[in-house]
Amino acid sequence: MADFLSNYSIQRWLESCPQGYLEDTVYGHRPDDHEPESMLDNDLLRESEIRSTVQLVAGERCALAASSGLINSAPDQASKAFLATQTLDEGRHVEIFTQRLYDLGVKPQDLEATITTYLNPHLAKFAEVLLEKVDKKDFVAGVVGQNIVLEGMAFSVFEMLQATHTETNPKFAHTLSGTIADERRHVGFGENRIGELIRRYPERKADVERMQRDMSKHMLATFHVAFSGSAAANEEAKRQMESGARPKTKAVYQGVDLSAVSTEEMEKVLASTVLGEFKTRLARIGLEYQSPL
Amino acid sequence: MNDPLESQRGGTEKRPRQVFELDETGFNEVPPRYRRFYRRWKGTADSLAPNEVKCPVCKVVIRSRVELRAGDRVYCMPCMSRLEVIEENGELVAKVLY
Repeated sequence: MADFLSNYSIQRWLESCPQGYLEDTVYGHRPDDHEPESMLDNDLLRESEIRSTVQLVAGERCALAASSGLINSAPDQASKAFLATQTLDEGRHVEIFTQRLYDLGVKPQDLEATITTYLNPHLAKFAEVLLEKVDKKDFVAGVVGQNIVLEGMAFSVFEMLQATHTETNPKFAHTLSGTIADERRHVGFGENRIGELIRRYPERKADVERMQRDMSKHMLATFHVAFSGSAAANEEAKRQMESGARPKTKAVYQGVDLSAVSTEEMEKVLASTVLGEFKTRLARIGLEYQSPL
Repeated sequence: MNDPLESQRGGTEKRPRQVFELDETGFNEVPPRYRRFYRRWKGTADSLAPNEVKCPVCKVVIRSRVELRAGDRVYCMPCMSRLEVIEENGELVAKVLY
């Protein structure tokens, strides 16, 4: 068993998470926080928030299926216990982002139709590649796909979303801070567990690297479609700031003020951050990053 | 052990290590008794104190009661990584131990 898990326990998860940063929250945010009226009253901005939240729900549904599916193929009890807590984390993420869709005005009876309408097809393909490995009970590939590629992407996406919402939407920013805290544990498990397993099973490298390349290809296509689709809403948000309808704010991510750049530049910043992180993380655990381009 | 500094293997330097008083930083992602040993990284403009090192896995800043030196081993509780402090381009950074 990997030594890093010897300090991990479900008791510590309870003290850190439900009794820690989630204490006194409702669906991940302070009970009195609400979505801003300036966004809810603007159809373009509201639809853009629904579209981006649908991708979060879809991504978290994939993470829930993957983490729960990996429990039975985990080779040791400590990993099973960790994945059990991760399964609950992912289930919570599905719930809080679904609740956000309701807060944005989606009716519960329209939930699945809304997801079908706005789901980015490239994100669905990204999930398929991962879940195929999980279905085959391939623990090594499943953990790399789930805890390094998917969670690594989610970590950067959540940080970027948090930067853009901290001043304009404290409710959503608070929700994201809890998910970022969860992601720290998930990427930590991925790196530490696989770092040890890849040294033990080096023959698995080629297959795992191929999966990373395929997932990265679908991820970049997901980003491209998402940012292209949000261009009009970003322009509207800038127009509101310039007209004084919403306060002028800065949203600094990776040293770039996102409120002052084009959607193409935002896409470039996110894609280069995520791919840079993949390269660094994979190199640390002995895998070579495969460019999808 | 409370301090994330697991072992002081660092350095041949004979000068005694600086000691630091650790205040609460608002970090709430670990049980309360460990919180002052961590803080959130504030981005590229954030500068680290001599008793701090950034976890390369989860980007949290790990804080010790004493000055850190190359060769020390620290533990990042938020992501469960065991790390060794090394010197790179004149700066102290953490390397993951698998």
